[in-house]
This record gives sequence, structure tokens and C-alpha cells, in this order.
Amino acid sequence: MTVTAAGIERKRILFLFIVFCVWVLVVGASLVKIQVVDYVENVKKVQGQSTRTESLIAKRGTIYDRNGEILAISVKTQSAFISNRDPEEALTLLTEVKKSGIMFNTDEIRNIKKRIIKGNRFIWLKRKLTDDEFEILKDIKEAHKKKDKSPIIDFVEEYRRVYPQGNTASHILGGVGIDEQGLGGIEFHFNPAIAGKGGIVQLEQDARRKTFDLQYIEKPEEGKDIYLTIDASIQYFVEKELKMTLEKYSAPRGCVIVMNTGDGSILAMASSPDYSPEKIAGTPPAFRKNNAVSFIYHPGSTFKVLMVASALDFGICAPQEEFFCWNGEFKIKDRSISDVHPYSYLTVEGIVINSSNIGAALIGARMGKYNVMRAINNFKLGQLTGIELPGEERGIVNPVKTWSGISVYFIAYGYEVAVTPIQMIGAFNVIATNGYLLQPHIIKKIEGVYLKKEQPRPIISSGTAHRMTSIMTQVVKSGTGKSAYIEEVPVAAKTGTTKRINRSQGHSEGLRYISSFGGFFPAQNPQITMFVLVDEPKGLYYGGDVAAPLFKTIAEKLIIYLGISPAMGNKTASRL
Amino acid sequence: MKIENISRGLIILLAALGFILAFTYMSLNIKTVDYGYELQELATRKERLKEEIDKLKSRKAQLLNLERVEKRVIEELGYQYPTPEQIIKVPGGDRDRSRH
Repeated sequence: MTVTAAGIERKRILFLFIVFCVWVLVVGASLVKIQVVDYVENVKKVQGQSTRTESLIAKRGTIYDRNGEILAISVKTQSAFISNRDPEEALTLLTEVKKSGIMFNTDEIRNIKKRIIKGNRFIWLKRKLTDDEFEILKDIKEAHKKKDKSPIIDFVEEYRRVYPQGNTASHILGGVGIDEQGLGGIEFHFNPAIAGKGGIVQLEQDARRKTFDLQYIEKPEEGKDIYLTIDASIQYFVEKELKMTLEKYSAPRGCVIVMNTGDGSILAMASSPDYSPEKIAGTPPAFRKNNAVSFIYHPGSTFKVLMVASALDFGICAPQEEFFCWNGEFKIKDRSISDVHPYSYLTVEGIVINSSNIGAALIGARMGKYNVMRAINNFKLGQLTGIELPGEERGIVNPVKTWSGISVYFIAYGYEVAVTPIQMIGAFNVIATNGYLLQPHIIKKIEGVYLKKEQPRPIISSGTAHRMTSIMTQVVKSGTGKSAYIEEVPVAAKTGTTKRINRSQGHSEGLRYISSFGGFFPAQNPQITMFVLVDEPKGLYYGGDVAAPLFKTIAEKLIIYLGISPAMGNKTASRL
Repeated sequence: MKIENISRGLIILLAALGFILAFTYMSLNIKTVDYGYELQELATRKERLKEEIDKLKSRKAQLLNLERVEKRVIEELGYQYPTPEQIIKVPGGDRDRSRH
């Protein structure tokens, strides 16, 4: 048997084919083992190595003013923490950090030290670092790395709330806590909308931890942006003027509200004392209180306007009807009502212009308690206005059945009831809008949210509103509000001076006064309604002496800023 | 012989086709992963740029803070508020005073 070359070649090919087949079988079997038999186990292994789940934090919405100026914004920042594997090393590092110039208060340092010694593994060093602080700590971390030590400082990304306008509009904005939760103002009231919703994402990563695919398990929702009706410039100069007046009269608190007459939107709401929204967590409650919506007080003479308007509207008296004002001293049961200046006979108009308490009391008596209560309800006093701010007080309006026989006398000139400045500006605006009650509001729009608007409600006839406007113009021209007189633009307003309420004892305190002034301008075509309140001014305390000049100063600035002029006719100011 | 040649040719053709298909499938897969990387990088960059924009917006708003501007104008540039006598009121109509 001879072996031919072709036979040898065929055998070789056969051998190689068999080897190849065995190899293919081995590979195939391995693949079947990997992909079929051990499938579940292997998928788990791969996922464990290449898949990572991360929580996503939602960015809080930005708050803008009516012109798109930023009032509050969240920016990404770093927070530093200590991985406390070796307490001794961690304490050395802490000393190094202290020396680096990063500001800590002694309590913070003490707490960190305590936690290091206690052996806590994760310790916040400082949250929400500034760019400079981050650079310093990054250098310390790098220096530590160079010494061949495992990093003891590390960082996580967080959002930091920034209020670029400083203290401006602090009571409106409120502020957030360390975890970006709303603690006051708009930040608190609209927290669910503005905070957004965090999400969870699954990342596919390679061996170098580079992501090549992702899948959202829960899609994050960014917080909604909010546009307020306030104008940051108006807010700024109103706050500044208020502070100056409070300083001048050594008054501890006060507020000013500026409203767009036509739609009830708030252009500025200043409350003093104020605070920094970035430090809200450490601010005492007295500073955080928004006096514009939370301060309750006897409205005093400013209330006369509302009572007289109602009496005229109900047909209870006529503008030129005279009332005998008892020459400044009127006794009723065991109590007495007095006027600053004695008057014998005053017309209804004269009662408002000269702010006669006795005259107003007599009008109230003629109205009777049910009509007085009807007037109070019509102007929505003693009720929440519904403004989109937390902490709004209702005020105090007792039920008619609890009134004494002489309550109407006192209520008619603003005692035995307590209101808030926001209620008063809403009521004054009724006269400015020819008799319609508008809901005061501070939200212009929230992205993606439909805001329901309350329809204007007629309260008094336009004839009564016109008559009241003319009377209130006389108050400023020749009555108690002369210091708010502006030559070019007629102002319609009313002064108020009241004794403070002692909330714990429920009665007025002696020698402590509240000075207020409410009104609108230009009287013939009102664009702006404003209410000013100064609590406990020292020295002068009459509304005409303290609050009216502040009203005038702000009004003059608004006239220039908004482009209000007598030549406007029935047009709306260009910047409103 | 002829049939053998044809079948060999067919096998080679099928093998080539199989190879091309496998190659296309693999290269498409690789491209998908490549695009995945690129997309993630771009998404990260976009995120960083958005953060940068927010920081710049915040900085701009801080620089335009009216209190700061007023302080600088008065203290550094020496400006003063006009006294009432210095203000001349010009009677006129309602002009458009747009802010920007």
C-alpha cells in the first residue's frame, strides 16, 4: 500500500478539520454555558460591573420679578465631607482646614471634632461652598493625595440658593433651608411647584467608568420658574425710603404696599425689619414676619373712608348733610370720643377731610350695626385676601351679636376691629377702581401652571367712588394729609393714627401709636394705590406727619419711574 | 467537477456574505457604543454649560444689585441725588420709557 501525496494532504486536511471542529465545539459549548446555562448569574455580574444607579437632584425653579430680573436662583456648588477612616488623621486635617482661612463658627468646629472623635464615618465639613472655598479645599485634598494617603476630604454636588438682590424683597421671597426646602415667603408657599422632583437614572459604564448609555428609572422634573408681579427697582427704593422713615422716627417696624390699581397686582411690598433670605434659618421670627400681611392693628381714621363710602352708597346720608360734632368731646355711656380739633357742625365730606372721630361715630350710629357689618364684609375686612403669601392674618372682626350697644360708634372710626395692611390697600383700591374689589396678587405666572383669577366684584357704585375720590383729594389738598400733596399729580388719600393693640390683653395701649396713610394717584385716572404704615414712631406720630410724607416721597419716585403724568388722560402708565 | 465548482463557489459566497453581515453588525454595534459615549459627553457638556449660564446669570444679577450700584455711584463716582430746587419739571405727554 503506497501512500500518495494526495492522500497525505487529505489526511492533514481531515486532521485540521477535526481540530477546527473540536475548537468550534469547545467555543460553542463555552458560549452556551456562558449565555444559556449561567445566563442569569452572568447577567448579574455584568450589570454589577457596568451598571450604576444614581439619584438626580432637581434644580429649584428661578424666581423673577415682573421684568425678568432674577430674585432667586439655584446654582450648582460643591459640599465637602470627611471620610473618617482614621480619627487622628482627620483631626490633623481639620486643623489644616481651619488655618486655610475658610470661615467656620466655633460651634461648627466643635461639632465636627465631636463627630470625628465619636468615630462617625461620614461627616459634613462644609456644605454649599463658595468657589474660593472649593479651590482651597481641593488644594488640601490634592496635597493629601501627593502624600500617598487615601483622600480624606471629598466633595458632592449640591445646589445653593442665591438671592442676587440681597435683602430686597426678603419677606416676599422667604428663603430656603440647607436642603433647599422652602422656609418662608414664596419659597415656602410654592415649594411643591418650585422644588421640582428628583429622579433616578441607570448608567451603563465601561471599565474606565465612562458612561455610554443611560436609562431613566424615574425622570427628574426641574422646579418651575415663578414670575412675580413686583418690580425689583420699585421694591428697592420703597424699602430704602421705608427704612429711612423708620430710622428718622425710631420706629421698630413698618410696611409699604404698592399696588397696580387696574389689576390688583402688587408692585412692591416692603416690610421692616428685614433679613437676608440666604440666612433665613438663623433669623428670629420677629424679623421674618411680613408686616404687610401679618400685622394686625386698629385701622383708625383710614377706616372712616370705607364707612362713609358705605353710608353714602347705602343712602344713609348725603355728602353735604351736616352732623353736629359736639365741639370735640362726645360722651356715650361711660366712654368718650374726642377730636384733635373741636368742630361744631361738619358735613359728611368735612368729617372725612378733617378726620373727625365724633362725626364718623355719629355716621356709624346712624348706619346701625348690621349695615356697619355689611360694609366690613363688602370690603373683605377681617377675611383673608387670598394673596399668595404664607402667614396672612385675618384680623379681628367680632360677630355682631357680641357687639355692645356702643360698638358701632367706635368701629366707625376704626376701633374694635383689627385689620391687616393688605386688607386696607384692597379696600382703598375699591374706591380707585370705581367700586370694584380686586384680589391682591403677587404671582404673575408660573411656568406650565394655569392661575385662576378671581373676577372683580362690584362693592360700591361708581358715583359713590367718584364722590369719595373727590373727598379724599380734598384730604390731601386741605385736610389732614397735606404733607402728601404733589403739585403735578392729584393724590386721593386718607390719614390714620391709632393706638396700638396689646394682643395679650386685647385692648389699646396708651402712648404707643400706629401711623398710617392710604391712597391712590392720579386721582382722576388712578394708576397706583399705596398703603403706608409706621408702627410706634417716636416724637411725631400722626399719620399726616409720619406716614403721609413717606407716601409722598415714594409717590414722586413712582411718578418719574412709571411715567405717570397729568397729561395721560385715561391711558395707563407706559411701564405698568 | 462543474457541480463541485459551483457548490464551492456558493459556499465561498455564503461565507463572504456571512462575514460581511457579521462585520456590519459588529461595526454598527461599535458605532452605537461610540455614539453613546459621544452623546453622554455632549450631555455632560450641555449640563455644565447650563450650570455656567446659571452662575453667570446669578453673578450678573449680583453685579446689577441696585444697592451695590447706588453705593458705587455715590461713593466711587461722587454722584449725588438732586435737591428739589435742582429738579426742573418739564410738562409733557406720556412718553414711552422702555427700560432696556
